Amino acid sequence: MLNAIDKKVLKEVADLEGIPKGAYNIRKNGKLEGREVSANINIETNEKGDGIVIDIKPGTKDESVHIPVILSKAGLHDVVYNTFIIGEGSDVTIVAGCGIHCGSDASEGHSGIHEFHIKAGAKVTYVEKHIALGDGSGKRILNPTTKVFMEENAQAQMELTQLGGVDEAKRFNEAHIGAGSVLLITERVMTEKEQSAESKNEITLDGEDSKTNIVSRSVIKGSSSQDFYVNLTAKTRCYGHIECDAIIMDNGINQTIPALRALHPDAELTHEASIGKIANDQLMKLMSLGLDYDQAVNRIIQGFLR
Amino acid sequence: MLQLENITFTVPASDSGTQPPSGQTIINDVSFAFEPGGFYAITGPNGSGKTTIAKLIMGINELTSGNIMFNGTDITSLPINERSNAGIVYGFQHPARFKGTTFRDLLSISLGSDDEDKLVNIISRVGVCSMDFLDKPVDSKLSGGEIKKIELATVIARNPKVAIYDEPDTGIDLWTIGPMVDLLKREQKENNTTTIVVSHNKAFLEAADTLLLIKKGKIAYTGDLAGAMPMLEDLSVCTFDELCQGDNDAQCYR
Repeated sequence: MLNAIDKKVLKEVADLEGIPKGAYNIRKNGKLEGREVSANINIETNEKGDGIVIDIKPGTKDESVHIPVILSKAGLHDVVYNTFIIGEGSDVTIVAGCGIHCGSDASEGHSGIHEFHIKAGAKVTYVEKHIALGDGSGKRILNPTTKVFMEENAQAQMELTQLGGVDEAKRFNEAHIGAGSVLLITERVMTEKEQSAESKNEITLDGEDSKTNIVSRSVIKGSSSQDFYVNLTAKTRCYGHIECDAIIMDNGINQTIPALRALHPDAELTHEASIGKIANDQLMKLMSLGLDYDQAVNRIIQGFLR
Repeated sequence: MLQLENITFTVPASDSGTQPPSGQTIINDVSFAFEPGGFYAITGPNGSGKTTIAKLIMGINELTSGNIMFNGTDITSLPINERSNAGIVYGFQHPARFKGTTFRDLLSISLGSDDEDKLVNIISRVGVCSMDFLDKPVDSKLSGGEIKKIELATVIARNPKVAIYDEPDTGIDLWTIGPMVDLLKREQKENNTTTIVVSHNKAFLEAADTLLLIKKGKIAYTGDLAGAMPMLEDLSVCTFDELCQGDNDAQCYR
């Protein structure tokens, strides 16, 4: 049964008011809490018993899968291996995410290793939100790994969000993009207090005319720190762009290291990166519309992390 | 209604590295009273202090000395947002570009409501913005003209008592300038908006009831356009009068 805390966590990570419609798998404190499959989407525990395999039939359209993880047990460090097989020509949305509720001084953590096999012509939107709640002083640790293997003419849009509460995060994203396929990654991270977040990305454009756009938006408050690394490698005629922007507030620190590697003469790779405080002209504009300084800062951050 | 009383602005020492350099006086002891519902154009050569006057009224730059009175209240020490809430709104010459913030966001802040009908109403009232601007991010992808139209709409949406437009025609195509002048005139007439336009554009100078010609940080002329023409023509020929050695040995092509 889902208690009030679980429901709150579900609302935050997956925008769910209760049990979702359609296929879902809810994991709570390292155990299966509930599962539902649909005619086109099968979910089963993997052979090792340390994760699930989500199999989406070819041609499945306009369906969604929710696979939230709830962690509210002191001292638990949950590791899970999930595999997604997105069938040919399908068009689906996957909502993942992990919410930690920490009520004690013992640390809690979750490492979700997600592997995506996106078949030819498939289209997937992957939404992953990480949050941490609760009054406990224990560290909340989230170390997600995402591996994406795209066949030809597939499209994947990945929205990876972590907005506050997480003390330590080490993210690793790896992708191999096949011919004519498009991968869009948007990562939004806000850290505060003494928190730290690191994101390492190894993206390879393998197939001809493959495309990728990697967007990172960071807000670094308090004395927190964020490091963002991307290695974008192009092996053929393809197009890739990296856009990383960080807003530093208070005493936050940031490293942003985008690297472009063109291993083919027809590769086209670009990047833009900026780190700095909130631009003065943005503050002036919003204040000239009647907002005070703090309201203006909040609105700018809200838009930036949208 | 809006009175500038002996206002002076000298670039503060803390702004080192700025253009113009610190210590330079940009506005020098200027006094002027704007009447309610009037249409004013502030013009003058580049670097004369036109934009600085406008920014001083909005509180974007702080006065070095002097006072600004608005409807009988001294607003000299009020921050930008409080001046805005009192009814003064400013359209920037180079509007801020955001990341993620959309026209809808700005317009909602300006209107104090995100009600769809109200947003659509304001866009129809402004006229120059297309409806599909609404969900566009106000970022570096917008053209110079698009962002100026958005800027104009955000000013009008606040129903200001005093609307200040700093070079509203920058980046605007020629065939939009006429409708833009008509819009500002209509807002002035229908809402009794005191309208202050900083501009070099004849269309705005002709629309104004009163023209303020700024030269070297002082008001060199106030009155109608006809009276200003001889001086404007003079300025249009030469702005190097500090170096000028007179008609006899001009060493220039005048």
